[in-house]
Amino acid sequence: MPVDPVCGMEVKESTPFKTMYKGRTYYFCSDACLREFRRDPERYLREGPKGMPSA
Amino acid sequence: MPEGRGPLRLSREEQLRVVGMHCATCATTVTKALKGVDGVVDANVNLASGTAKVVVSGARLRDLVEAVRRAGYDVVTERVRLRISMNPEDSRRVLDLLEGLEGVVRASVSPGTGEAVVEINPYSTSVEAIAEALTSRGFRASVESRAAPARRSELREYVRSLAVAWSFGPLTLFLQYTSRPLLAMMASAPVVFYAGLRYHLGAYRALRNRTTNMDTLVSTATLVAWLYSAYSLAAHGPVFFDAASLLISFLLIGKTIEAYIKERLSAEVAGLLPQRARVLRDGREVEVGADEVKVGDMLLVRAGETIAADGVVDDGKGEVEESVLTGEPMPVLKSKGSPVVGGSRLVSGFLKVYVTRSGERTYVAQLMTAVRDAEAARLRVQDLVDRVAAAFTPTIIAVAAVTFLAWHFALGAPTARALLFAVAVLASACPCALGLATPMAVLVSVHRLARRGVVVKDGEALERVRDVNVFVIDKTGTLTEGRPRVVSFTELEPGAMDLASSVEALSSHPVARAIAERFGGGLSGQVREFNEFPGDGVSGVVGDRQVIVGRPEFIAQNCEGEARGDVAVCVDGRVAGWLTLEDPVRPEAKELVGYLKGIGRRVIIATGDSGPSADLVASGLGVELVKGLTPDGKAELVRKLRGEGHRVAFIGDGVNDAVAEREADVGIALAGGTDIAKYAGDVIVGSLRGVEDLLRESRVAVRKVKENLAWAFGYNSVLVPLAAGMLYPAVYISPPYAALAMSMSSVIVSLWSLAPL
Repeated sequence: MPVDPVCGMEVKESTPFKTMYKGRTYYFCSDACLREFRRDPERYLREGPKGMPSA
Repeated sequence: MPEGRGPLRLSREEQLRVVGMHCATCATTVTKALKGVDGVVDANVNLASGTAKVVVSGARLRDLVEAVRRAGYDVVTERVRLRISMNPEDSRRVLDLLEGLEGVVRASVSPGTGEAVVEINPYSTSVEAIAEALTSRGFRASVESRAAPARRSELREYVRSLAVAWSFGPLTLFLQYTSRPLLAMMASAPVVFYAGLRYHLGAYRALRNRTTNMDTLVSTATLVAWLYSAYSLAAHGPVFFDAASLLISFLLIGKTIEAYIKERLSAEVAGLLPQRARVLRDGREVEVGADEVKVGDMLLVRAGETIAADGVVDDGKGEVEESVLTGEPMPVLKSKGSPVVGGSRLVSGFLKVYVTRSGERTYVAQLMTAVRDAEAARLRVQDLVDRVAAAFTPTIIAVAAVTFLAWHFALGAPTARALLFAVAVLASACPCALGLATPMAVLVSVHRLARRGVVVKDGEALERVRDVNVFVIDKTGTLTEGRPRVVSFTELEPGAMDLASSVEALSSHPVARAIAERFGGGLSGQVREFNEFPGDGVSGVVGDRQVIVGRPEFIAQNCEGEARGDVAVCVDGRVAGWLTLEDPVRPEAKELVGYLKGIGRRVIIATGDSGPSADLVASGLGVELVKGLTPDGKAELVRKLRGEGHRVAFIGDGVNDAVAEREADVGIALAGGTDIAKYAGDVIVGSLRGVEDLLRESRVAVRKVKENLAWAFGYNSVLVPLAAGMLYPAVYISPPYAALAMSMSSVIVSLWSLAPL
C-alpha cells in the first residue's frame, strides 16, 4: 500500500486524495495532508513524513 | 473543570457515531477535539467502529457535535419532525425544553405552524422519547409524518368553536339586555367553557409549567368576568356575561382567520402536485391517487394537466411549463428522453412519462420539506422578541391588578366597573402579534420564493443575504453554461491531441468531454493505468506513451517545457501541446452581475481555470477574477474575504463547490438537477435570476418583520392604557371590543406579512 508522504500513514489507492508530482502519483489520507503537500512538495519528498498537519 | 453551560448534571456517557475517520491520527484528532470541550470528563474514540464514547458533565451535546465537525469530521445525527400544540409565544420555552433533553443536538421551532425540527443523536434518544417528554410537560406533541401536514383539522376546530360562539354569544347579549340574567348565564356557558376551552387548557398548561402566556390572559379575563357575574347574579348585582362570551367570540374570529391563512399557505406548496393521476397498468389506463404512483409506472399526461411525479418522457411530445423548478413561466418543449418534474404543467401535447421518483422523493416533496425547515428560522431580532414575550404576560397581569385597585380604591368606582377595566386590560393585550411577527414574514417570503423556483433551505439565510457585500461566483457551469468547446489548439508533437482525447474520453469532466468530442478519443480502448486527479487533470498510458492532460500548473510540476493555454498536454514527460476552450456565458449571468453591481455589491469570479479564457469572461462582465483555484482554494478565498470583515455569498453548482458554499455566509447553489437533498448551500436556485428574487425577497422579509414588530409593540402600548380607562369616559373600550382589537391585531400581522408591498 502507498504511504502518505505527509503523515506517513498507509493509504489505499482508491482514495480521492491524490496528486501527481514529477510524473509520480502520491496518495493521502485526507484533504489536509494533500493540501499540505501541495504547499511544498519538495520538502516532504526530501525530508520524509512529518505527521498530521496541525491546521 | 469549568462549570459548563446549561444545567449542572451528574456525569453520564454519550455515544456518538463519527464518520470520516480514515486513519489512526484522525481518531486522535477527534479525541482531542472532544476533550477540548468544556464539561467533557473523558473521551474515547474507536477508529474501527467509528464510535466515540464521551463522559460528559455539563457539556452540551451540540458542543460535542460541533467540536467534531470543526475538526473536519462528522457525527451521525437524525432529523425528526414534531407537531406541537402551543402558542406562538411559547416557542422559546419549547425550544429550551427540547434542547435540554438528553440526546438532542439542536432544535428549531416554527411558531407560525407549531412544528419543531429536532436534530437528535439516534444512539441516545428517539423521536418517540422526545414527543413523550414534551407531552409530559404539557405540550402535546406528535410525530409528524412528512407527507400530509395536519393543519386542516386546526381550521376545522376553530370553525366549530366559532359556530358555537356565534350562536350563543348574541343570544347571551339579547337575554342579558332583556333582563333575563339567569338565562344569559346559561347561554354564555357554552361559549366560555366549550368554545373557549382551548384557552383554559392552554392557561392550565402554562400554569403547570409555571409560566404564563396569551391563554393565561384570555382565560383569566373570561373567567373573572363570568365568575364575578355569577356571584353578582346571586347577590342581585350587575352582571356582564355578555363581556365574557363576546370576548371569546371576537377572539375566535381572529384565530380562525389566522388558521385559514396558514392553511392556505401550506396548501399552496402541497397543492403543486395534483390529487389524481392516470397511469398505464397492464396496458390499460387507470386513474389512481397521486400518492399511489410508484417508480416504474407509466404516467399519461394530457394538455392542461399537471404532472404527478418526477420522471423521463418515454413517448409523446409537448410543451411543459416548469415554473415550479425554474421560476420561468415560458413553456419548454419536451420529447422522448427529456426529464420532467412533478408539479410542472403540460401546456400542449401529450406525454407518456416513465416515473423515476414518486412520493416523498419527488422534487416537490423535497421542496415542501425544505420550505418547512426554513419556516423555523430564528432571525436575530427574535431573541429580543422572546425576552419581551417572557415578561409580557406577567406585566399585563400586574397592570390589570393595578387598574382594578386604582379604579376601585383610589377613584372609588364600583367593583363591577373596576373589574371591567381590569378584564379589558387582560383582553386587549396581545402577545400573539409579537410571537407571529417574525415567523409569518419569513413563512410568506419562503413560500413566495419557492413558487419562483428558489428553495430556501436555511431560513436565516434570508436575513443574512441582505448584508452580503461580496458575491463570489463560480465560473464554469454557473456563470457559463458549463459546456466548454475547444476553440483552438497547438500541437508541439503531432498526434498529441489524439493521445490527449483518448485519455480524456475516460473522464466525465466537462472539459474532458469537450476535448474527447473534438478529437474523437479513438485510442480510449487502449488506455491503461488511468488516473483522475480532481481539479488537476488526468493521466494514463496509451500504448507505450505516458500521457498527462490537465491545468497548465499541474502539467508544469510534472513535465518539462512551457505549459500554456487553458489545458496542456504532456507526453512522456514533455509538454506536447495545449488547447484553449470557450464556455459561453449565460445571458442571465450578465443580468445578475449588472444587478449586483447596480446595488453596490462587489462581484468576484472564482474559477479553477487558469487559462486566458477566464480573463475574457471577467473582462466581458467587468468584474474581478481569481483563477486557478482548486475547490479548496475557493473555500480559502471565501475564508480570506470573511477574515477581512466582508459578508460573503458564494454562488456555485452546489456539488463541486460544496465546501466553499458551506464556508460562506450564504451558500447559493444553482441546481442543475432536481434532487434538492444532493445540493449544498443555504439556498437553491433554478436559474441565476433566482438570486435577484432572493435578494429582493430578503429585503421585503426583513422589512416586514420590523413593521410587524413595530405594529405589535405600538398596538399594545396604545391599547392597554386605553383599556385601563386612562381616557375614560372620553374613550372607553369594553372587554369584548378589547378582545376584538387584540385578535385583529394578530390578523393584521398575518395579512400584512402576506401583502405584496
